[in-house]
Amino acid sequence: MIRITLVSRMFTTGRQSFRAAGLVGLLLGSAALVGCGLQKDVDVELPAYPAQLVVEAYLENGQAPRITVTESVDYLAAPTPQVPTDVTATLTLPDGRREVLKFVPGQDKRTGKAYTHIGTRILAAQPGQTFSLELTDTKGRRVTGSAIVPVLVPIDTVEWVFNDKPEAERRAYVLTRFLDPATPFDYYRFQIHRRRVNNDPEVEYTVEDRLSNGTEYTLGTGYDFKRNDTLVVSLYHLDRPYFQFLQSVQDARNANGNPFGQPSAIKSTIEGGLGVFTVLSYQRRSVIVR
Amino acid sequence: MTLRFAFGFFLLAFIVLPAACFAQARYTLSGLVKAAGNGEILPGATVAVPALGLGATADEKGTFQLTLPAGRYRLLVSFIGYQSQSRDLNLSRDQRQSFQLTAAGNELGEVIVQGSGTLKDKLQTTQMSVERLTAKEAKLLPALFGEVDILKTLQLKPGVQNGGEGTSGLFVRGGSADQNLVLLDDALVYNPSHLFGLFSVFNPDAVQSVDLYKGGFPAQYGGRLSSVVDVKMRPGNPEKIGVSGGIGLISSRLTLEGPIKKGKGAFLVAGRRTYFDIFTRQINKLNQDDPDFNPIPDYYFYDFNAKANYKLGEKDELFLSGYLGNDAFSFGSGQGFNFNFNWGNRVAALRWSHQFNSRLFLNTTASYTGYKYEISNKLDQFSFNLASDIQDLNLRSDLDFRPNEQHALKVGITATAHRFGTGRLRAGSGDGRLNLGSDISYLGQEGAVYVSDVYNPSEKWQFEAGLRASGFQSGGQRYGGIEPRAAARYALSPNLSVKGSYALMYQYVHLVTNSGASLPTDIWYPSRGSVRPQRSQQVAAGVSWLLGDGRYLITNEVYYKWAQRQIDFKDGAQLFVNPDLDSEFLFGKGWAYGNEIYLEKKQGRTTGWLGYTLAWTKRRFPPQRGTSGINNGDTFYPSYDRRHNLTAVVIHNLSDRVKLSGSFVFSSGQATTLPLGRFGFQDVYGAEPSAVPIYPQRNTYRLAPYNRFDLGVVWQLKPTRWFPESDLTFSVYNAYNRRNPYFVYFDQVKDEQTEQVTSYRARQVSLFPVIPSVTYNFKF
Repeated sequence: MIRITLVSRMFTTGRQSFRAAGLVGLLLGSAALVGCGLQKDVDVELPAYPAQLVVEAYLENGQAPRITVTESVDYLAAPTPQVPTDVTATLTLPDGRREVLKFVPGQDKRTGKAYTHIGTRILAAQPGQTFSLELTDTKGRRVTGSAIVPVLVPIDTVEWVFNDKPEAERRAYVLTRFLDPATPFDYYRFQIHRRRVNNDPEVEYTVEDRLSNGTEYTLGTGYDFKRNDTLVVSLYHLDRPYFQFLQSVQDARNANGNPFGQPSAIKSTIEGGLGVFTVLSYQRRSVIVR
Repeated sequence: MTLRFAFGFFLLAFIVLPAACFAQARYTLSGLVKAAGNGEILPGATVAVPALGLGATADEKGTFQLTLPAGRYRLLVSFIGYQSQSRDLNLSRDQRQSFQLTAAGNELGEVIVQGSGTLKDKLQTTQMSVERLTAKEAKLLPALFGEVDILKTLQLKPGVQNGGEGTSGLFVRGGSADQNLVLLDDALVYNPSHLFGLFSVFNPDAVQSVDLYKGGFPAQYGGRLSSVVDVKMRPGNPEKIGVSGGIGLISSRLTLEGPIKKGKGAFLVAGRRTYFDIFTRQINKLNQDDPDFNPIPDYYFYDFNAKANYKLGEKDELFLSGYLGNDAFSFGSGQGFNFNFNWGNRVAALRWSHQFNSRLFLNTTASYTGYKYEISNKLDQFSFNLASDIQDLNLRSDLDFRPNEQHALKVGITATAHRFGTGRLRAGSGDGRLNLGSDISYLGQEGAVYVSDVYNPSEKWQFEAGLRASGFQSGGQRYGGIEPRAAARYALSPNLSVKGSYALMYQYVHLVTNSGASLPTDIWYPSRGSVRPQRSQQVAAGVSWLLGDGRYLITNEVYYKWAQRQIDFKDGAQLFVNPDLDSEFLFGKGWAYGNEIYLEKKQGRTTGWLGYTLAWTKRRFPPQRGTSGINNGDTFYPSYDRRHNLTAVVIHNLSDRVKLSGSFVFSSGQATTLPLGRFGFQDVYGAEPSAVPIYPQRNTYRLAPYNRFDLGVVWQLKPTRWFPESDLTFSVYNAYNRRNPYFVYFDQVKDEQTEQVTSYRARQVSLFPVIPSVTYNFKF
């Protein structure tokens, strides 16, 4: 039997929806009566927050490592990127070899991302292998982390279904199927980009297999796509720390501006700082919705 | 401590019993005091024998009991707002007498003062830390959108905080909203709010009164740590059929009441419904051709209350109470996506009251309570349904024994069967290819026995001692504890009393919520696994001083409360449909202490109260379960901690037809969590880096202080043929239009040309500006 799970999508949607529902409900009465003037700028005095090293390091099989090391700042500080210049980054490969990544700030042409440290060797990452990262700076700060390469979970099918509206309004939803491995605690990140992957995705959410382990999953979208749209569908298989990091980032963002949200601490995959060190394992399909 | 107390209690019991045995040539007068015309019972009415200087006060059921030497007496029955009544009595045996008092003047006079008991009673009783409020008093005060809300009115009492602008949740002496035992005619109500906490579920037309116990809890109450909110529904008019109702800004109400059989019983049925949805549907319809218009979701709530009482005989009476309420929220995108969210309570209670004799009463109540929410999404052929519920069946029996005028004993037993449906998930597709489900539920059994005695050894001293033994089991695990309760009053003079109390409470069921506010999606969870019962102890001491010939009462109470096994959750806890919910809990300790000063005036053309509370509430969750706890284990203030709270309420009887009211609230700013830092996050794809807020500590920031002034006018209209009683009630909420903070968030400031972020700013959001409203009320 084919199992389909819009569950996590809807689950996430549901959580957001009732929060939104709450806000709508709360504001409905007063907004109808008065309308505006209920927001204003205020001065807030926040306690000083010591700067921490922030790491974004996504290793990929067949790519040279490129990582980004920045610093956190006070929330109301100027929006200037804080890039420490004295950080030494050392990558330890599964066979124990250590590579010191060079501090060469630049922008990755493939992904459009900024980076600060690069490696020279192409990585060969096999599922189950462990990579480690260590950062040190002249202030005595030390950040460490390790990551295990997840198994690749392939996409089985990508299909779409149009609604029956007139052609000008006709839209399709997309279904992506894959088989969850029999092992528990698998986590996925699903994305659909239009044309290119180096911009914000049209659809993105995370899924876990705690409710239906080892079955076929079908991840869906809303009626979001027009005929002849070119889509890039990505399915990442995540380890638990990376999944929790992404969740905590989302929770922290949701808490800002949501009176019902519970502020969430960032669950970093590294110790001694903030951020993520992981090895990406994903499959992509490019389709044209016809 | 517990053993010593238990010993003391049983010693007291030994003192009581001989006293009962040696009572000779004394008889008991008992009965009921109610209002003539509508038959409402009058708790707090006084039945006195002036010649002996003795008297008794009617209890919450309107019954009184007075033990006197045999003889001839003149009784004086009085209650503020009613004409006093005297009656001669030849007491040669135990007797039962009922009194019907006529309202003094018109409805106006009645509503100002009815039902609150006298200040003298309040001075003399051992029970401290209790507030009584009648629906009629609440109806005089200004209300948000004109919706009278008896729970929100309780927030104007000292020691009680709200959970945010306009919400009906009660945070009593440092307790959270889920630590309130909310009872409707002795049946538990799990989620006493509509519209995400903006309104309580109690229709003011169906409610007679509410008693709020903040401390010194009598032994018959248990199961929650911080307060008891005992709501009593109004009995129907036993004399004639009547209809009353109101048409307001956002809802309308209708009540039908009357006799079932003259002299035997009466019924009352009340309903109300909001009509946001009627307007929003019209707005949506008008804009259906506008492609830029986002349809407004549908929302409404309704509730029904019903009560009936029927006398089976001279000594037996049945009471049936029911409540049914529902909130409905729905949204359709027009592109195949539909979202529905429904939640509500169901409550039913059947009480049998039996009088063995004039000294011994038995009340036995069987009740059912249930709360459920359900979220359903539908997208084309796919559907998704998430639901949770809790259902209780309860049986309790309470025996009141008044062996003599020195003692009032209560003994009782209660048993509850719980069913906790903590998460039910269904996902399916029209073609049958999707069939996914998960259902997580637990059973639990809770029980308690109690005994208590109010002992009056002398004019100066009065004691109340109680002992409650409670227990709970779920999943093969058993918990239990002894809950001693004690209170004492010493009269320094006829107008000055000092009081003290102690109470230990257990709470076996817990609300799972990761938000500061009470949401309909919050679920209840039993004590099981690592989740052990919450426990709290409270000591309170106070002094009450009656001034101005009994017109004013000043009360000052100081309290200290400490609680163990308080519950919170890990950051990012997954609370929905989680079979391992147990692992998401964190456990800690809490403390609350403070001082409450309260000045009341209940008689005369101008009545009201003034309250000031100075209080601290703290929590500490040390590192545990692989986490650093909350705040790295440091003590923090929960969001409802308020250092200062000042409330003033004035009701002025301007004329026979016009009443003015005003209320003012000032409180320290709410503790809230703001991000202290941020970092840029690029993610795996190379989009613009976005700012991620960092929340290293909880509730380190205080919003600006809250203050608000509300105005109200009740204008009694001239009687007409069809509406002999009607009024227009005007309310102005937030009369000086203060922008009180609801929450603060951080926002990016962008360059209009380049869309680049140039700076960050803090924005304060307010919820309610000045809101005028008018309600038309009628009765015939």
